[in-house]
Amino acid sequence: MNEFFMWFTRPENSKLFVLLLFFTVYGLILLYVFTGKKRSSRLESYKNIPFEEGDETAPQSKENEQ
Amino acid sequence: MFKHETIETHAGWLIVLTLLAIGVGGLVEIVPLYMIESTIEKVDGVRPYTPLEQRGRDLYIREGCYLCHSQMIRPFRDEMMRYGHYSLAAESQYDHPFQWGSKRTGPDLARLGGKYSNEWHVQHMTAPRSVVPESIMPNYPWLLKNKLDISDIADRMRALKMVSVPYSETKAEYDANVSKFGKDVAVMLDINRAQENLIAQAQKGNYDGNKADISEMDALIAYLQVLGTMVDFSKYDEAYFVKFR
Amino acid sequence: MAETSTQAAAQYNYDIVRKFTIMAMVWGVLGMSVGVYIASELAWPFLNFDIPGLTFGRLRPVHTTLVIFGFGGSALFATSYYIVQRTCQVRLYSGAMANFTFWGWQTAITLAIISYFFGYTQGREYAEMTWPIDLLITVTWVAYLVIYVQTLRRRSQPHIYVANWFFISFILATALLHIFNNWAMPVNLFSLTSYSYHAGVQDAMIQWWYGHNAVGFFLTAAFLGMMYYFVPKQAGRPVYSYRLSIVHFWALSFMYMWVGTHHLHWTAIPDWTSTLAATFSIMLLMPSWGGMINGIMTLSGAWDKLRTDPIMLFMITALSFYGMSTFEGPLMSLKSVNALSHYTDWTIGHVHSGALGWVAMISFGSIYHMLPRLYDTKLFSLKLVYVHFWLATIGIVLYISALWVAGIGQGLMLRAFDDYGNLAYTFIESVSFLYLPYVVRAIGGLFFVIGAIIMAYNLYMTVRQAKRDQAEIDAKLAAKMA
Repeated sequence: MNEFFMWFTRPENSKLFVLLLFFTVYGLILLYVFTGKKRSSRLESYKNIPFEEGDETAPQSKENEQ
Repeated sequence: MFKHETIETHAGWLIVLTLLAIGVGGLVEIVPLYMIESTIEKVDGVRPYTPLEQRGRDLYIREGCYLCHSQMIRPFRDEMMRYGHYSLAAESQYDHPFQWGSKRTGPDLARLGGKYSNEWHVQHMTAPRSVVPESIMPNYPWLLKNKLDISDIADRMRALKMVSVPYSETKAEYDANVSKFGKDVAVMLDINRAQENLIAQAQKGNYDGNKADISEMDALIAYLQVLGTMVDFSKYDEAYFVKFR
Repeated sequence: MAETSTQAAAQYNYDIVRKFTIMAMVWGVLGMSVGVYIASELAWPFLNFDIPGLTFGRLRPVHTTLVIFGFGGSALFATSYYIVQRTCQVRLYSGAMANFTFWGWQTAITLAIISYFFGYTQGREYAEMTWPIDLLITVTWVAYLVIYVQTLRRRSQPHIYVANWFFISFILATALLHIFNNWAMPVNLFSLTSYSYHAGVQDAMIQWWYGHNAVGFFLTAAFLGMMYYFVPKQAGRPVYSYRLSIVHFWALSFMYMWVGTHHLHWTAIPDWTSTLAATFSIMLLMPSWGGMINGIMTLSGAWDKLRTDPIMLFMITALSFYGMSTFEGPLMSLKSVNALSHYTDWTIGHVHSGALGWVAMISFGSIYHMLPRLYDTKLFSLKLVYVHFWLATIGIVLYISALWVAGIGQGLMLRAFDDYGNLAYTFIESVSFLYLPYVVRAIGGLFFVIGAIIMAYNLYMTVRQAKRDQAEIDAKLAAKMA
């Protein structure tokens, strides 16, 4: 077991370690962001923020509620 | 549950997570380099610069030489034929800051030392196109005219000592240098004798061909002539260096 | 509409945005002109005139400092202050502190270029400023961070819009890079000279960790922040995908920090750092292109705008150059390609396809969009924007193709062998070869500068017209009252 943890401390292994870490985390982020209809439309709704400034005309495409 | 909105609505979360994301890369790549044993080769001969050479190096930086000349020979056949043995990490271990450069508008200078005579350097620096007609290097005539400022040489060496260049101030530090570099070198690294050492080297070397005073040219050529000459490569087996790559 | 805009002007701190915008143009024109001058020095070395302050070695930091920190920096201050106020719908925190960032930043730039002229430099690329200037920048930057965060905290819009994430990431990363890269020991309290804390290998790593992330966060992330606000605004439609922007942001922030070492391939650093950097450089293509696609696709369904709106043309071209140079970058970070390209003009060409094509073009587009709104008026001339656009585009194309020829040509010459296994060319023969490409490069740069001068004129006339209109309204009001 100790041997297993020592593997992480060697600089030459950092490459593989980081790649694994990176792909797992980003896999999770991608899953989170792009799955779920409700979550998707909720997240997308925030893109209209620049058009809620009140002193200009609204965007032409109003695909989202709010 | 933690949603992405938590980050989008809390500046604190945004800052902490961003710092985390941008922090990892630098840590993983840079920290291991401080495990010096595996990064820098153990070779004999590499020593801190003498006071005159260090002043020359200051001028090299002042004129922005590093913007057109690299000091880093890569392990390729053409570069080794053109410039000499590829550069070792050990060779720049006392370089504050490093001067590896990023662009070769002119040739690499890592092993310039000893390739040309002092007279050639004076002529080349004053009017490059008089020795190399196609050269696009600027003329540096003022180096010959300006007297070298040596008033703060001790301060400079002290500052370098603060960033761990082994210049000596006390007897104990001097003795340590004697055992590490030999007596001749240790004397030159003594801050208490900085000015006299500088003057003595400039007069003995007479780099600019004018004994009357010490010009900036003296210092710069003293620096250029030591570049890449510290390690005696005939003493090492190639396989030794490969371990550090 | 006019009424609400006046309200906006009163509600928001536009004064600070105007000041930074003007300085961005001043430093931009100056810095790009210096660039053309030093490019000409390489073709015609007599231009160094035996004057120390005019030699290439001393002017080059003047050029880089002016365009990156003077032009780019001021443009970022201006747009970030504009965007954070409008997307948070709140006035900028502390006008006094904002003014301090303005004067602190402009003083730092001015002192820096004066000190380079006299040969005071740290000898670190893109961080040549001497230690007192570094301290001034540090204080200014902390004030910037405080203003930005405080403004975010006071927002009346519940969400922090994506553009602001990029700006936060840029401010934090720049602070980190600046502090660690400039760690140095001054010779004494009254000397401008200092020696870097690190030496050799470690110093090289720190410097290029700084150097490349200055590109990554200063010249990329921050300008992406600009893109995420101004492209949708100019197009009049929201960004293509907000979810993509989430992935884009985190991937970019995380990955950039790894790639700096690709500037040190084949040098005396350990091989594993080099390989790691190359790996991440390739992967960086994903978020980079994610961002580009997100920007360009914002226009999907309204492509006709490209025919009628020169400002949109600037923005979309900027994104295209961004896509091109973020493809070229990973390519050059491959160790085999780098062996040829490193130390040659190919690198310089690559930097400029990013700097002129992406950074400058997106800034031009954003400023053209923003300035009339700052003064509640219309742009003086859209025709001149077209002229500027074509001059800039032709200039960039000339510039980068000349340096492709120069870099690849020189790289091939230097590694060529004759039949007997000797080097086929001396170094100086490769320098002679560079003459023609250098001339073309200087001409390309000149095109770009002329475009920028036309823009400055256009903006000047816009402001003048706005002030005249305002004076007229005031006079009418006064007459009514009387």
